[in-house]
Amino acid sequence: MRGSTRITLVAGAVAVLVVALVAARFTSSTAATQPDAPLPAPAQPAFVIPEPEGLAGERATSRWSTVVRAVTVREAADPAAPAIASLSPRTPEDTTNVVLVEGSAVDDAGRLWIAVRVPALPQNVTGWVPRSALGANSFVRTRLVVDLEELHATLLRDGRPIFEADIGIGGPAVPTPTGEFYVRSKLRSLSRFYGPLAFGTSARSAVLTDWPDGGFIGVHGTDRPDLLPGRVSHGCIRMRNEDILELGRLMPVGTPVTIR
Amino acid sequence: MPSGRSLETGLTLGDVDVDGAILERIECVHGDSRSAFLRKATIGGAALLGVLALPPAGKAQSAKDVDILNYALTLEYLQAAFYTEAEQVRALRGRARRAVEVVGAVERAHVTAFRDALGRAAVARPTFNFRGVTENQTQFLRTAVAFEDLAVAAYKGQAPRLASDALLAVAVSIHSVEARHAAWMRYLFDITPAANAFDEPLSRPEVLRIVASTNFIAAAGRTEREGTPRFTG
Repeated sequence: MRGSTRITLVAGAVAVLVVALVAARFTSSTAATQPDAPLPAPAQPAFVIPEPEGLAGERATSRWSTVVRAVTVREAADPAAPAIASLSPRTPEDTTNVVLVEGSAVDDAGRLWIAVRVPALPQNVTGWVPRSALGANSFVRTRLVVDLEELHATLLRDGRPIFEADIGIGGPAVPTPTGEFYVRSKLRSLSRFYGPLAFGTSARSAVLTDWPDGGFIGVHGTDRPDLLPGRVSHGCIRMRNEDILELGRLMPVGTPVTIR
Repeated sequence: MPSGRSLETGLTLGDVDVDGAILERIECVHGDSRSAFLRKATIGGAALLGVLALPPAGKAQSAKDVDILNYALTLEYLQAAFYTEAEQVRALRGRARRAVEVVGAVERAHVTAFRDALGRAAVARPTFNFRGVTENQTQFLRTAVAFEDLAVAAYKGQAPRLASDALLAVAVSIHSVEARHAAWMRYLFDITPAANAFDEPLSRPEVLRIVASTNFIAAAGRTEREGTPRFTG
C-alpha cells in the first residue's frame, strides 16, 4: 500500500472515532437535561433545629460580675472622683469575689464604668469601677427576701415565691443588718455549727466589726434547729439543715438579698 | 506556689477550665492521658485555643463528624452568649435591640440542637467576658458583623468535610441562616450587606485565631468551694 493511501485511511478512522465520541457526549448531555429526568431528593437532616425561644419570660433578672483585679471604688464614674472603698479579686472565703451590677456610664474619655454594690461598711454603698476591673457577666432570676419581723425567708424566681422557711436572726445586741445585699459565695460547710451549707452575703455586721474576716453575714444551716424560729444568732440568718440544702438547690450566687 | 502554676498568670488549665469545657473537648479528641497532662500544665490564652485547634488523630469518620459538630457548637455558644448578654444588659436601642432578640433566640436554638444531637459528647459551655462590647451600640454591631461573617466562613469551611449527608443537610441549613444574620448585622452597621460575588471559607485554625484575638474566652469564677465558714454565725 502506498504511503498516501495509508495516511488517508488513518485520518478517516480518526475522524469516525471523533464523530462517534461527540455524538455519544451529545446524546448523554441531552438525556441529562431532559425536563422530566428526576433529580435526587434532598437529604433528610440528621436532626431538627427547635423553634427559637425569646427571653420574654425571664423578666426579673439581676446582673453580677466577677472582680478580676484589685480596684478602687469611686464615688462617680470618673478616675478623679473620691475613693469610697476597694475591691479584691478574692473573698475572705477564698472564692472569686463578685459584685452586683446596678448601672453603667461612659466618662469623658470614652471609658465604660460600672456601678456596683460594694460589700463594705457602711451598708448599701454603691460606687463605680472601670469595666476592665470586672470579668464575665452573669444573670440571675432569683431574689431572697428576709423578713426580720416575721422571722421568715422567701426565695422568689421571676417574682414568684419558690421557697419559704422559718429562720433565726441576730439578737438585740448583734442585730442582722437591713438593706439590699447579694449572695457572693457558697460553701459546702465543714462545720456542724454552720450546718451542711453556707452562703456568704455582701452584708456585714455593724457591731461585730472585729469578727474574723470582717464580720460578714451568712445564710446557713445549724446544729440547733430547736432554736428556730428566733432571735438567736450573731447576725447571720440560720435555717434548718433540710431548708438550707433545698435553698442550695434553688439559689445561685449573685442572687440579690433584701433584708427588711 | 503549687507546682504547675503559671508564674505569669497564676493559673493552671484546671483553674481556667472550671466547668470542664476545654478538657472535655481534649478528652474527646485525644483521650484521657493528654487531658490529664494538660490539666496540670501552665497555660496562656493562646495556648489554650491552640490545644483546641489540634486535629483529631486516627479517629473513625464518625468521630471526625463529632469533632466538627463540637467545633460548630463552640462557635454557637459564643454567638448565643453574645446576643443573649446584649439583650439582658439592655444597652442597645432601636432596630439593633429588636435584632438581638431575634438572632439571640435563633443562636440559642442552634446550641440546643447541637447539644441534643451530641448528647454526652457535647463540649461544655465556656465562660465569656465580652469586656463591655455588649454595652456599646457601635462596638456591639461591629463585633456582630465580625462574628456572623466568621460563622458563615466557618460553616463553609467544615460542611464539605462532614462524612454524613444528613449532617451536611443540617450544616447547610444553618449556614444560610448565619448568612442572613450577617447581612442583617451589616445592614444595621450601615455597610453593604452583600458586596461579594464569592465568599471564601475559613479553616478552623484561622477561625480560632480570630476568636482568640478577641480575648472573649474568660476564666470562670470559682464562687463555690468546701470549707469552714467564718461568718458571724
